[in-house]
Amino acid sequence: MGTADIIRTIVQEFPLALYGSILVGIVCAFLGVYIVARRVVFLGAVLTQVSVMGLALTFLPFFPVPHTIGSLAITLATVVIISRMLTGKKIPRDGVLGVVFITSVAARILIMQKAQRVEVAEIENLLRGDILFVTPELFELMVVAFVVAMALHLLFFKEFTYTSFDPETAQTQGFNAAGWNLAFYLIAAVVIAFATHMVGDLFVFGFLVIPPVSAMLLTRNVKAIFILSVVIGILAPVVGLFLAFVIDVPASPAIVAVASVVMGASWLWSVVAKRG
Amino acid sequence: MPPLITFTNATLGYGNHIILRGITFAVDAGEYFGLVGPNGAGKTTIVRAILGSLRPLSGTVKVARPDGLPVRFGYVPQRDTVDYVLPYTAREVVMMGRYRDLGLLRRPGAKDREAVARSIAHVQMEAMADRPFRNLSGGQKQRALIARALACDPDVLVLDEPTNGMDLASRIAILDLVRELHREGSLTVLLVSHLLDDVANHVHRLAVVEREVFSVGPVDEVLTGENLSAIYNMPVEVQRSHGRTIIIAGGGNGNR
Repeated sequence: MGTADIIRTIVQEFPLALYGSILVGIVCAFLGVYIVARRVVFLGAVLTQVSVMGLALTFLPFFPVPHTIGSLAITLATVVIISRMLTGKKIPRDGVLGVVFITSVAARILIMQKAQRVEVAEIENLLRGDILFVTPELFELMVVAFVVAMALHLLFFKEFTYTSFDPETAQTQGFNAAGWNLAFYLIAAVVIAFATHMVGDLFVFGFLVIPPVSAMLLTRNVKAIFILSVVIGILAPVVGLFLAFVIDVPASPAIVAVASVVMGASWLWSVVAKRG
Repeated sequence: MPPLITFTNATLGYGNHIILRGITFAVDAGEYFGLVGPNGAGKTTIVRAILGSLRPLSGTVKVARPDGLPVRFGYVPQRDTVDYVLPYTAREVVMMGRYRDLGLLRRPGAKDREAVARSIAHVQMEAMADRPFRNLSGGQKQRALIARALACDPDVLVLDEPTNGMDLASRIAILDLVRELHREGSLTVLLVSHLLDDVANHVHRLAVVEREVFSVGPVDEVLTGENLSAIYNMPVEVQRSHGRTIIIAGGGNGNR
């Protein structure tokens, strides 16, 4: 199969996989800049695991709600509970996130033990990130989450940047730093819950971290970091999906691998630029 | 003219934990006031009460301009409380000082850029304005943070430990800058520091804070060997020479 045939196959047979992974790539790469800047990278891993645990919970008879709604509800509830703890000084952030992470993983394993065999396979598919089988309903939900998240962040760019850079002074200037902090985490939770359901935890966590870090290696301009991160968030899924077809490997790991290669190249470039 | 800031028998703390009990003092408009005391004595608690982020457990804290308009604070935090991951330029950091007046959904315009340029010029940072804030020296960072506080056109400039961790030259330069800013306009300055020398030689009046002790008054009256020896629980001598206050701690054996 030639290059043109592969591209035609992806566009014609798997358009939702292509556009869905680009959507997730953009929004995760954008939010990821804040996540890396706020030094809560582990939050991305935690929320993807909480989201998957919430998803798994919906397979049990006592939580009979749609998968995405269940996942979203559990993720939002977790964010509300931990957001205050993340800004407090009693327990280190890593400690809070570590507890939530390991509890979610343990709960998911226990839930999978109690789920029906066929459903266990379904949960495992979600964990691997089967982006080739994105449903139109899920894609539409993701579009809504994408539009809302990006609109809020672009409209309130100065509030999010100020309260992230210097929450103490922002508070003295009348900005409710804790409120904006919670708003940020809630938006991240909605995006992560939908995105994880759609493309899997590997893809989501990868794109919350790798494009922002790559962009930070490439430029010293804050706006350019956001733009470059989003550009990587668009290009890596396209190239990764193409390579997944060419060498016949799962899509999500291929896409994350491409992003990692971009990061490696960015690091090399930053080293060379520094010496030059 | 009524004072700008008035504490009347105010007890401050968090929940059931009382930090300072029944303090009374006032800061007049245009005054250069110092808040001094050891680390953990309650200085930041007083600042929070002044800035409105902490309500007194009892008593009152009144902050009001004579014309009834709200007092505008320009706050200069300690340098290590800001985030250094994203490479904001000094100019972008100063622009944050304009965000409050912009309100929701509005972007900075020409008027804001002019105000930022004026603030940067005020602290003599033009040459450094477009460099990443995180790459600046301690003194340059402090100047940028002071410029940000000035950019919001404040009535009161509040500086929290502005010379902490600086070398001697940078310390003097920052303190001279603050003194100039105070002299130039009608700015009220509140300097918070645990460094007695910094405060003693710059402010008009000061408050010495140490939980059980709270003394307010002119520098000469409050900064006495007797007061400081009691607060720091060690012999402290205060000498005046060539118009400057010199504080010698540790029994006058040369250790300062």
